[in-house]
Amino acid sequence: MKERFILNVIHRPEMVPEYAEKVTGHGKEENISRKALLTESLDIFKTQQAIAHKNGIKTTIQMTYASLFNDEAVALTKEHHAQYGDEIALSLLGLPCKEFRDKYKTKDFCIWMFSMEDKKAIVTDVFEKFHEKFGFYPESTGSYYLDADLINFIKETYPMVKCAVATCWEEGPKAYHTCNNSWYTLFDGGPWNPWIPSKQNTHAPAANAAEDSGIVAIPHLSRDLLACFDGNGSNFGTHPQNVLRGMIYKPGSFDEQGNYSGQEYPYLYNLIDQYRSLGKYNDGYSYNMMFVGPGWMNKMGRWEAPYELLLQSYEDGMAYYAQLKREGKLEDMTMAEFADFYRAGHTYTQPECALWRDILYGSDKQYFWYADPYMRCCLDMNQGGAMIDLRPYAAKLYWPVGIGTPHVQDASYPFLIQANYRAGYFTHYAGEGTIRSCKLTHKGEEVDLCLCRTWAHFEKQGSARVLTLDPVEIKFADLTVKVVTTFTFEEGSSAVKTTRRIVESSDPTAKVELNEYITACYGTTEYPEDMTGITLALQGAGESRCIAYEYRCREDQMAGEAAVAVVPLVETKVTMQAAEELQVYYKEGYAFSPMFTLGLKKEIGQDEEVTTWLKLEKAN
Amino acid sequence: MAQAGKGKLNFRCPSCFMRDLDIDMFYDADKKEYYCLRCCYTGSEADVQAKNQMARFRYRAMLKRFECFDRK
Repeated sequence: MKERFILNVIHRPEMVPEYAEKVTGHGKEENISRKALLTESLDIFKTQQAIAHKNGIKTTIQMTYASLFNDEAVALTKEHHAQYGDEIALSLLGLPCKEFRDKYKTKDFCIWMFSMEDKKAIVTDVFEKFHEKFGFYPESTGSYYLDADLINFIKETYPMVKCAVATCWEEGPKAYHTCNNSWYTLFDGGPWNPWIPSKQNTHAPAANAAEDSGIVAIPHLSRDLLACFDGNGSNFGTHPQNVLRGMIYKPGSFDEQGNYSGQEYPYLYNLIDQYRSLGKYNDGYSYNMMFVGPGWMNKMGRWEAPYELLLQSYEDGMAYYAQLKREGKLEDMTMAEFADFYRAGHTYTQPECALWRDILYGSDKQYFWYADPYMRCCLDMNQGGAMIDLRPYAAKLYWPVGIGTPHVQDASYPFLIQANYRAGYFTHYAGEGTIRSCKLTHKGEEVDLCLCRTWAHFEKQGSARVLTLDPVEIKFADLTVKVVTTFTFEEGSSAVKTTRRIVESSDPTAKVELNEYITACYGTTEYPEDMTGITLALQGAGESRCIAYEYRCREDQMAGEAAVAVVPLVETKVTMQAAEELQVYYKEGYAFSPMFTLGLKKEIGQDEEVTTWLKLEKAN
Repeated sequence: MAQAGKGKLNFRCPSCFMRDLDIDMFYDADKKEYYCLRCCYTGSEADVQAKNQMARFRYRAMLKRFECFDRK
């Protein structure tokens, strides 16, 4: 297996950097055409380009609308394309400038939030302005998020576009809260590494050519797959100044001559190296993206860090990439080159897998992330392999975003499980939280595998990705058993197969009851949604029973093969299924516990196992 | 008493940072202290720097270099 670690470095000449007017302009009347602001912005872009080039790293220059009005920025970009092979691309970030505000009469600047009519007008305006300056249309574009309707319009109008920055991983309510509830980038639920978006929903990868939006999407930054699940994404990514923002570094100091030195940030290098290590789960391929906006390197300093440290961290980050390149461990590509590379090496149903360990907090916590055209999910080995996040991509939910749609700002792909937003194993006082786990019962005692900390091992078996967990021990008053869990992700199946096997027992004749369950709801934030309209059903060979959700705390069980929920508002059918007849059940939930539970129960003893499937389908 | 302004850097409130909130503080020149608009923290630059160290207590592996990612 040939290891190939690909790097995209992107720079944008943002003439009015985000934050700059707000931070450096404090105490002045707003004026986004201040000459000092424009000059400093271009200087930062030049600095970033110089750092990349001296390290032998090629970049993708994403021109902003504002920079297309600046002759020096245009000339510089042409020069760097000719001299270094940098790609000249176009960003839909960086819209704010006098010309934009005069024309569109708004201070909105996030392309996904405009009305569809305005999106079309702005895209056409920006792309035509780009053509006027460079004589061709760009092959790469992007923003922090691009909704599916927008991507479809861009691809239809400018078919040469093949690559786009299309989301920031897990930038949603957590980032919003960190920014004092004032940063409206709400788009949780997407893939963490490049993917081919479907025409229906950007987050959900295309399952076939008919669903293919025509572009390869890349995430904005490569983010820590553990720290970002329970923290502000803007602290934990391949963005040196993000790491400074998180205070994840040892500060240096100034000497008498004003030189800054002694700083250390091994976390940044660990993050890059862990991304490199993901090649072993993805047929040798791994990926990194670095995209630092100029506002993060302004002369005023940022987040307690002086300018000298901001600058040095960028130098150090790029130097590490350069070292890997010299050692033959990294290939730098432009975005367009990467899109060709990605399409040549990936099929539609090929999943993205990441077995990710904690590299920051000093624990042995480990997650397994999985994404394919049918689902994104996360298993937490610190909770016995419990599923703590589940996004039903099988639904390919059409979710228009922007002014004039039901979702002006909220572009997140809805979850069925999000164990931090809607509790998980632990709840206060009453009720249940979203989780997919297993309970073992014996003589009135009950143990949930969520309380069994373990570690996982990955193996590819044909077209299946298999995760096997180290055995965990369950101690009842008069019985001890050891359980091994195996998760199998069969490519294209839209299902997760779970096998639990009792490999040791203190009493080989004893039986324990295994209760495989999923507790779920739906939503995009921490707050509950109305569960009315959901149906819960049990299916057996000759009988099926069904109820409509009414918060009445009802439960039902029977001998059967499947427990099923249909969640109309996310157009998803969820099935817990077995290969044989066993006890199937549902629990309805109530107002203080707005969840539903589907489960399967069976008694087993030593050297016996239970196999079940969690299956997702689109439900119209 | 004149209005407050920003300090030489955009120092965040260390108390809010501990609860995952990034909020710039403002500087009261009369009292020679930074203060938070949201919570009740006040302190000198030296105190802010010292309190920032508290945020790092959770980063037990902050300065550790990892060689391997698939073993404990």
